[in-house]
Amino acid sequence: MLTQLILALVTFQQHSPYYKKTKQFFYHLLEAPDSRLKSRFDKAMIVSVLFSVFLLIDEVDTPASSFERIFEHLLIALFILEYLLRAWLHSDVHHIILTQYAKALYLNHPMQWGNVAKMIIAQKVAYMLTPLAIIDLLAILPSFRSLTVFRALLIFRLFKLFRYFKSLRLFAEVLESKRFELYTLAIFLSFLIFIGSIGIYFFEHAANGLQVRNLFDALYWSIVTVTSVGYGDIAPQTTGGRLVAIGLILTGFGVLSFLISIIVSAVNDKMHGLRENSIYAELKHYKSFVIICGFGRVGQHIAKQLEKHKQHFIIIDNNEINAMNARHLGYLVIHADASKNEVLINAGIKQKASAVLCTTGDDVVNVYITLTSRYLNSSIRIISRANHPQNVKKLYQAGADNVIQPFEIAALVVAQYIGKPVAFEAILGVIREEKQFIMETLPVCAGSMIDGITIAELDFEHRKLMLIGVVSANPTHRKHKNSYALKNQHFYFNPPPFFILRSGDLLVVLGREIGIAYFREQLKNSNPKESKR
Amino acid sequence: MKRIAVFGYSLMSLEVIKQLNEEQYSYIFIVKNESEALLVAEQGFDTKIIDFRNDEAIKSVGIGENIDILFCFYPKDSDNVFLTISARALDNKLTIIAIVDDPESAEKLLAAGANKIIDPYEICGRKTHDMLAKPDITDILDNTVFGRHDLHIAQIEIPKNSPLQQTKTSTLLLAGTYNLIIIGVVDKVSFDTLHFVMDEKEHTLNTGDVLVVLGPARDIKAFKEEIDAVTGI
Repeated sequence: MLTQLILALVTFQQHSPYYKKTKQFFYHLLEAPDSRLKSRFDKAMIVSVLFSVFLLIDEVDTPASSFERIFEHLLIALFILEYLLRAWLHSDVHHIILTQYAKALYLNHPMQWGNVAKMIIAQKVAYMLTPLAIIDLLAILPSFRSLTVFRALLIFRLFKLFRYFKSLRLFAEVLESKRFELYTLAIFLSFLIFIGSIGIYFFEHAANGLQVRNLFDALYWSIVTVTSVGYGDIAPQTTGGRLVAIGLILTGFGVLSFLISIIVSAVNDKMHGLRENSIYAELKHYKSFVIICGFGRVGQHIAKQLEKHKQHFIIIDNNEINAMNARHLGYLVIHADASKNEVLINAGIKQKASAVLCTTGDDVVNVYITLTSRYLNSSIRIISRANHPQNVKKLYQAGADNVIQPFEIAALVVAQYIGKPVAFEAILGVIREEKQFIMETLPVCAGSMIDGITIAELDFEHRKLMLIGVVSANPTHRKHKNSYALKNQHFYFNPPPFFILRSGDLLVVLGREIGIAYFREQLKNSNPKESKR
Repeated sequence: MKRIAVFGYSLMSLEVIKQLNEEQYSYIFIVKNESEALLVAEQGFDTKIIDFRNDEAIKSVGIGENIDILFCFYPKDSDNVFLTISARALDNKLTIIAIVDDPESAEKLLAAGANKIIDPYEICGRKTHDMLAKPDITDILDNTVFGRHDLHIAQIEIPKNSPLQQTKTSTLLLAGTYNLIIIGVVDKVSFDTLHFVMDEKEHTLNTGDVLVVLGPARDIKAFKEEIDAVTGI
């Protein structure tokens, strides 16, 4: 009966969207590394902790006011709640129960509730024994004023700041990564201090009994000397004692230099990964962005254009110099091989990336990146550069939506410049929105005000717009002349006044930005689906 | 027919020639050696092996005489700068188009007298951005105006005594009559300014103004012929 009840409860938890949503919310609040909610919570906690420490220090010589007491109680309640929530987030109890139940069912064994309880407790205890969880717990204790000894634990409340400051956490991670070197150094240092303490005690206790009274004085002197602090309150008087001091000072310098070099090299090792992590975190804040693979000449110009139009992008380049150039220009760069699945996945090809541009100077690499990108995301837009005409087809086969050939495009510009420079500049200006007038496409949605009406009825002249043509896949338009085949549809240039617009058609209009935006808004409002939203 | 001298045999020079209408232009290729000359000759072009550093050799190609357009397509910017300076000194009216490898050399080429600088990488970068920002529009234009289809942009100059003189741009209804769409007019007085037909400011056409139109080649030709016939050209 109890088993059935527990199972019903955990199954409910497993399938309840409310439970999932709640847990997700607290995960974003407390744990998710790139969550904005967590960032705000951390900032609030830093201020609260510092304020509470200030109040606790103030209480040392002045009695606490009622406000201070209420604040302290509220903060402790928050600390306890945070501690419990983190323990809850650490592992899913219902998941353990359901997994064990499934195992028991499969093996046809009765459910071993004792084992399940042990597993749950083990996981929760494992959390409680993590350094940060211990600090959390110790940070709560100073509030128990009746126990004076706990007040000394006030320092742990400051340690709690480790949890909220990213850079402090990072420093702890750096130290953690060099654990072996630091252990070695600590053992060597302990050995050195031990020899120094024994040495100074041996030489000085008899001759300088007033200063080196016992082994503790000798230990204190050794630590002060080896760390190059040297208070001078204890000074060796004998030759033997002074020789020990010289030895300790010289080796102390060595140990200190070794410690610094370990920390510097650890920070250096971590820097590459950290830089990339910060890039990935920044990418997650963007609604959409473009991935540029290759920061050569073409990549540089694309980045310049995207930057000019305030569009977000990330550069991936395997070449150290190219990556450094991009970094100097202030762009987001990943120094890695863009043809690797992991690199593109980390860069967000499956999430918010809207397009991949393969712009390296090597067609082989471009084909490989194109193929990888298409494999990872079947719907993403891929534009690839072909340096040789014979590779254009291969790039399309690999999955590129568009292939650009630098010399072909440049040749087109030269050809257009010779024949009709003014007209060409005009049309380029319109495309690039450098002129007052722009060219845009407007869709004809089913049920909107323009669905089923003629061009004449639309009266573009009155709207101060110019209709260049209509793009459509609708076969009913085939009877019209001036039809040009596009990929799967046709472009009807200068359609006659009796041309009836159908849903799915795309109007190509020229006009001022404001005029086009106004017309677009009218179309949107007249669309039954859009107006419902 | 205009005569073009192409200095430098490369993918780029062949592409440019492929894009140009062969009925309107004739070419002479200036190459470095016999093997290049053979390759170009196979494509059906006149070739000449000369040293571009020598003014007399450049003159022998026809610069300063019958060459209208010069393509400086050498891979080294310094070679293109030297050729541009030499050619400009020989012919002040020559149209010089030069490609640039290092963007910093663009200013130098302009100072040397080039009319148009082509940076293939910059053009490619801009084109990619156009494809990203306006995929529908670039797709349509690439497939029609810049593609193989018979839809073109053209610039038509208003000749002397044209009936179009003193006509207001808003009253020019070429869409129904000639199957052409007028994008705008470039004023002769302020040559760089393009007045769009739909602009609030009414523009009155004058001799020398340039109409920028979009339409099928045959309709553009018919319109040009009609204007020329009326004005007796």
